[in-house]
Amino acid sequence: MRSLTGLGRLVRLILRRDRVRLPVWILSLGGIVLGSAASLVPLYPDQTSIQQYVELFGDNPALIAFAGPGYGFDDPNLGVILVNETQLWACLGIALMSIFLVNRHTRAEEEAERTEVLRSSIVGRHAPTAAAVVVVGAAGAVLAAACGVGFIALGYGVTGSVAFAAGLAGCGLVFTGLAAAVAQLAGSSRASLGLSTAVLGAAFVLRAVGDIADSGMRWLSPIGWSQGVRAYADERWWPVAVCLGATVLAVVAAFWLATRRDLGSGILPQRPGPARAGRWARSPLGLAVRLQRGTVVAWMAGLALMGAVYGSIGDDVEQMIEENPTFGDIVAQLGGADVTDAFFATAASMQALLAAGFAISAALRIRSEEAAGRVEPILAAPVGRWRWAWSHLLVAAVGTVLVVAAGGFGIGSSYAVVSGDAGQVLRLTGAALATVPAVLVLAGVAVALFGASLRLALAAWAGLAAIVLIELFGELLRLPSWSRAVSPLHHVPGLPAEDLRALPLLALTALAVALTSAGLARFRARDLQVG
Amino acid sequence: MDPVIRCSELVKTFGATRALDGLDLEVEAGEVHGFLGPNGSGKTVTMRIILGLLRADGGEATLFGGDPWRDAVALHRRLAYVPGDTNLWPNLTGGEIIDVLGGLRGGLDDARRTVLVERFDLDPRKKARTYSKGNRQKVALVAALASDAELLVLDEPTSGLDPLMEAVFQDCILDARAEGRTVLLSSHILAEVERLCDRVTIIRRGATVQTGTLDELRHLTRTTITAELRDPPSGLTDLAVVHDLQIDGHRVSFDVDSSDLDEVVRHLGPLGVTSLTSQPPTLEELFLRHYGDELADAGVADLVVEDGGA
Repeated sequence: MRSLTGLGRLVRLILRRDRVRLPVWILSLGGIVLGSAASLVPLYPDQTSIQQYVELFGDNPALIAFAGPGYGFDDPNLGVILVNETQLWACLGIALMSIFLVNRHTRAEEEAERTEVLRSSIVGRHAPTAAAVVVVGAAGAVLAAACGVGFIALGYGVTGSVAFAAGLAGCGLVFTGLAAAVAQLAGSSRASLGLSTAVLGAAFVLRAVGDIADSGMRWLSPIGWSQGVRAYADERWWPVAVCLGATVLAVVAAFWLATRRDLGSGILPQRPGPARAGRWARSPLGLAVRLQRGTVVAWMAGLALMGAVYGSIGDDVEQMIEENPTFGDIVAQLGGADVTDAFFATAASMQALLAAGFAISAALRIRSEEAAGRVEPILAAPVGRWRWAWSHLLVAAVGTVLVVAAGGFGIGSSYAVVSGDAGQVLRLTGAALATVPAVLVLAGVAVALFGASLRLALAAWAGLAAIVLIELFGELLRLPSWSRAVSPLHHVPGLPAEDLRALPLLALTALAVALTSAGLARFRARDLQVG
Repeated sequence: MDPVIRCSELVKTFGATRALDGLDLEVEAGEVHGFLGPNGSGKTVTMRIILGLLRADGGEATLFGGDPWRDAVALHRRLAYVPGDTNLWPNLTGGEIIDVLGGLRGGLDDARRTVLVERFDLDPRKKARTYSKGNRQKVALVAALASDAELLVLDEPTSGLDPLMEAVFQDCILDARAEGRTVLLSSHILAEVERLCDRVTIIRRGATVQTGTLDELRHLTRTTITAELRDPPSGLTDLAVVHDLQIDGHRVSFDVDSSDLDEVVRHLGPLGVTSLTSQPPTLEELFLRHYGDELADAGVADLVVEDGGA
């Protein structure tokens, strides 16, 4: 096995480099899954409520697409609900973690020309890829095991929890292997990431179609294998073996492909790009639009799709809440006469939390441009800091409006189809837009921190995490009521359930502008932090 | 006329590090000015202060007579900059990036752009992420040279270029000088500086140690004389101006200050000179002269002796 010489050292190098990154991935994904698992326990206290849940999900294709096949619905228990609520998302999470981390340690390393240095020393041809697979596979296993142990601690069945964890780990392994193989195919790190994510998307669609049609198509998808363990419902173990087998095949394929290409090049051909730039290249705003437009479109599509799922169950909500008093309590706290509208108000604030993720990353584009040294040639041109920063922030603000509107449009248009009321499209899109000022406040905090220093700017993400925690689990964790007031979303009138009040929206907008201006004023007065 | 760039007594600190410690630099209009110093001596920091990307903690910097921090945008209309480490947007092509950088400066001369892309043998349709360091450098160079900027600020622009492209670059700079443009060029390639630069400034640990034309700098140092004499060399040992004298039969070799050349030649004349070579110091020797102690620390002893144990 000379081609693996140096594996141990490379594994230690990855562990050392990612000593923060790996725990953050594992803790945040594990925290979300276990948080959801904990929140289900009080929601479904008895067999009646569990039965009601199952009836709601049994026949709605949109819910099946975004949940799973519903194994065990004929004789349900709380574990079956846990699987239905979290397993698909946990699979997507672990798959994304595997894809990002494997790409980071294979193709991205190669592009940064660090692999070259490593390979010139006493390191075997396949050792860098193998080291990435070992570490990322192990990270997935640790995450899965932590979930399993957590489920058991929360009182879920032992066998089912072990099966859930085994399927989850299997899913992580398959995508670790796939990402390693795709990294050999693609011509660049970005293309490799795109291709792997596309494979994950295909896996999602195959199992969604397979589950809705209850056909064998689900077995074409690694996510389908993971769900195939039937956790908490007459478990079976052979799908785990399928995952392991597929992982081995994918890794062998990666090794084989690696022998058929040169370092730094891909197997798939590279397309040349345009030799000249379009009109956009003439202003910083044009450049900012060009650099960010892809991200905006992708986020719009994602939120619109998610909104469509919320909208599709709009008609079932009322019945669901009448039958489950606990649900009713929660929705009633959000304040509103009409339960369907209260549900949509909650959906809008969920989407606002996601949109805040977009808004912060788009606003912090000025941070990444500065950190990567790409701002230097721009500011050496006759472009001031104020103009450059505002170009990116304008794109971030308009992008936020578009992303939020797309989410509302998704809810509105799919509810319009279900309810036969075309007026819902405008009404629910408008309702979602009421959250924009609150989302922009969070982006404003990011800019304010950026003004102080590049390192500090990253704290904006911790702020978002805190607000997600307050909004989603504040009730469950019995956080003091004042903590809810910290979240800007708390001050947004819950449209469409509540009436539109202009004052809080104007105040939040003013706050966002003030935070941004303060951040930029400090940025203009400080040294550029380059190289 | 005011100099294009004037820095006096510049001080810049980063925490406990004193990156610039009283640096002086003057670049006259129309000259190619070499800016020399070892890694970490403060060349890039100086350039970033001139560009208003960093703010000096002390001293004064002016660019075209204006304040580089306050008037950055107006002043930048008149200059083009090539950073030492060119970072490009990985998902844009080289051609697009040239247009971005040129477009922000108010447009490029299209004819000149086409010629430069060809001369530097750059494929403008490739995504920047696939470029080598040399190719990234070419993108920045084409964008800067295709502009009609009066001043070119170039921070080690040829690091990563092959000798062929290095020659193209030197031609471009000579063209720029012929057009009357001003160039501030920091470089480690001393042959390049020797060929291109009218004046040079040598800095060390954030302070200027010497500045002037190459002739002036040479004048301050010793020339090496080697001569074959008909008569045995006599009396040379007694001459105070002769340093490091080595006698090998009728052949002598020694160093002499440029200002004392006249006296030495008059002394050699009567001895019957059959061959004579006079070797002015190379820029490399001039440069290394200022770093004698650092070289000694690094275990490089011979070079120190060569310039008379300075």
